[in-house]
Amino acid sequence: MRKLLAAMKKEFLLLVRDKMGLSILFIMPMVLIFIMTLIQDAAFRTLNEEGIPLLVVNEDQDAVGFRIENGLKDSELVAFNNTIHGKRATRNELYKAVEKGQFLIGIIIPKGTTAAIEEDVKRMVDESLGEEVSQETPASMEIEMVIDPIASKSFVISVTSQLREFISSVQTRVLFETFNAQIAELIPSDVGMEKREYSKRQAVTYKEVYASEISGEIRPNAVQHNIPAWTIFAMFFIILPLVSSIMKEKEEGSVFRFHTIPASYFLQINAKLIAFIIICLIQFVLMLIIGLVFLPMLGLPVLQLGNSYAGIFLMALGCALAATGFGVLVGSIAATQQQGAVLGSLSILILSAIGGIWVPAYVMPSIMRTISEISPLKWAMDGFYGLFLRGEGFTDVLTHFIKLALFFTICLLIAIRVQSKKRIG
Amino acid sequence: MSKPAFIEIINATKSYKGNELPAVDALNLAIRQNEIFGLLGPNGAGKTTTISMLCGLVQPTSGEVRINSIDLASDLSRLKQMIGVVPQDIALYPTLTGRENLEFYGAMYGVPKVVLNDRIHTWLKKFDMEKIAHKRVSSYSGGMKRRINLIAGILHQPEILFLDEPTVGVDVQSRADIMHHLKALNAEGMTIVYTSHHLEEAQQFCTDVAIIDTGKIIARGKPMELIDQHSDCRNLEELFLKLTKRKITT
Repeated sequence: MRKLLAAMKKEFLLLVRDKMGLSILFIMPMVLIFIMTLIQDAAFRTLNEEGIPLLVVNEDQDAVGFRIENGLKDSELVAFNNTIHGKRATRNELYKAVEKGQFLIGIIIPKGTTAAIEEDVKRMVDESLGEEVSQETPASMEIEMVIDPIASKSFVISVTSQLREFISSVQTRVLFETFNAQIAELIPSDVGMEKREYSKRQAVTYKEVYASEISGEIRPNAVQHNIPAWTIFAMFFIILPLVSSIMKEKEEGSVFRFHTIPASYFLQINAKLIAFIIICLIQFVLMLIIGLVFLPMLGLPVLQLGNSYAGIFLMALGCALAATGFGVLVGSIAATQQQGAVLGSLSILILSAIGGIWVPAYVMPSIMRTISEISPLKWAMDGFYGLFLRGEGFTDVLTHFIKLALFFTICLLIAIRVQSKKRIG
Repeated sequence: MSKPAFIEIINATKSYKGNELPAVDALNLAIRQNEIFGLLGPNGAGKTTTISMLCGLVQPTSGEVRINSIDLASDLSRLKQMIGVVPQDIALYPTLTGRENLEFYGAMYGVPKVVLNDRIHTWLKKFDMEKIAHKRVSSYSGGMKRRINLIAGILHQPEILFLDEPTVGVDVQSRADIMHHLKALNAEGMTIVYTSHHLEEAQQFCTDVAIIDTGKIIARGKPMELIDQHSDCRNLEELFLKLTKRKITT
């Protein structure tokens, strides 16, 4: 026990005196969390508060065109514009402005859109009443959406589908009103008024509710998503100082001495593991403090911890075990400190990418979603999202912890095997 | 009657994967207790492999290694308590102080804390390093590092001390100081097995030497007796060059 404590003391002293290692362990992850959360929150805010910069050219100058313009002016989704340099924008000016990136989306409502709808309704009513109509099918009008090519596809799909839905509702309303007007010519006016009121009412509305067991309303936001994701990423980055520590001992000759002293080399590794697991847990608590205290000071939402502190501790421990176990494995495989650093950082980047740290796993293609299941970062993410967003408890995250603990055990067993083989040489 | 062998290498061969020739080839060596034994040879001769086999760091492909009649293959842990190793590399933590390094290695050998503090104090005083013991090893000169490296290997008072180039890269004064203390340890009963490129130092320091080349012992005996056997050689260095037909490189 005294040997283990002495080895742990040595590890802590080495860590405390390694300024670069400390910055990798604490400062860099904290900076990363601040930056990523602020950027993503700012992006959400730009879209939610200021809206997407949008330019409308209303060539219709009639009911449909005006309704779309007025509706978009009131929309929180977009920052509405219909002028350039104080003058109503033209079709060509719109193309150029969007091309230059002044607006993310431009909408052109062509001339005659309202007239086309009215003509269509009139034709429908006439057909219903058995009156003779022209056999020629009227040309359909095309509302054009001009999109800045730098906008990402998923973003464009999300925004344009909402715009399409809104424009369709305007068209439908105009269509109903035109239809009303046509009917009003055939039936008494007082009945027609009632029908107009009816047409303005929304028969079906939508309500979005997040399926979470957390009491009170919990809305996914930049803090709630970023703190767990980047904390896991930072905890796995502990493998860099851990690998560096193992490699330094190999290169500076301490390992040679360890093999000649009456204390197992694995006692040194155990001391390292304990020291780095404690560091990982301290890192985790610091990250939570950022989400609970510091980010709210910058106007960001407070991190909601969910219902289970025991579950949070279990997942943090699982994550620390997996990260340190993987670090020991990389340290055993690598031949030099440089090789260890490259192997360590690249493997974390790959595991984090396939684990859904950069891009959520649910938007990945099917094959990548399957592959993501082998990443310990994905298991950790699933556990923390379950706790922080779904309100899951200790027993719900037990499976994720077991997977992480198994990963740790397998890494250590392989490391022991590799180390023994190297020693037998 | 001569003393029985304390350290024995019996017909030991060590081959490494990918190497055609064995690093050590059917080597036989016996070292008596309380000797200062010098293992000398050019680079790649098999010195490090021989020392590594004696420390239990590598197992011979065939043959036996015994220390005090204990077969290393069967009782390595007992051997580790008996030996001290001072590697050629400065196996110290540069960001720890000299004292912290010694406290760590002493604890690893299981030396009780009070005894350990006493021994650290004694050795730091002997090497005149008390005043700088609280400073980080990274700030030490080469000679200071060598001295701390040596102390780290003897804190548990081993019966056998393996020294791999203990004075490489140190100034004359530090070298003399180190050799003086090693002789004192030997006088107290410690068996010393030593490798060096400093043949003049080996000639003065060792009670017995072996010259090894291509994994085989090519000469063995007391330094002066070996020199006397070759009338054309005035010292160990000339004998070494004659036998190995190679220059000494560090």
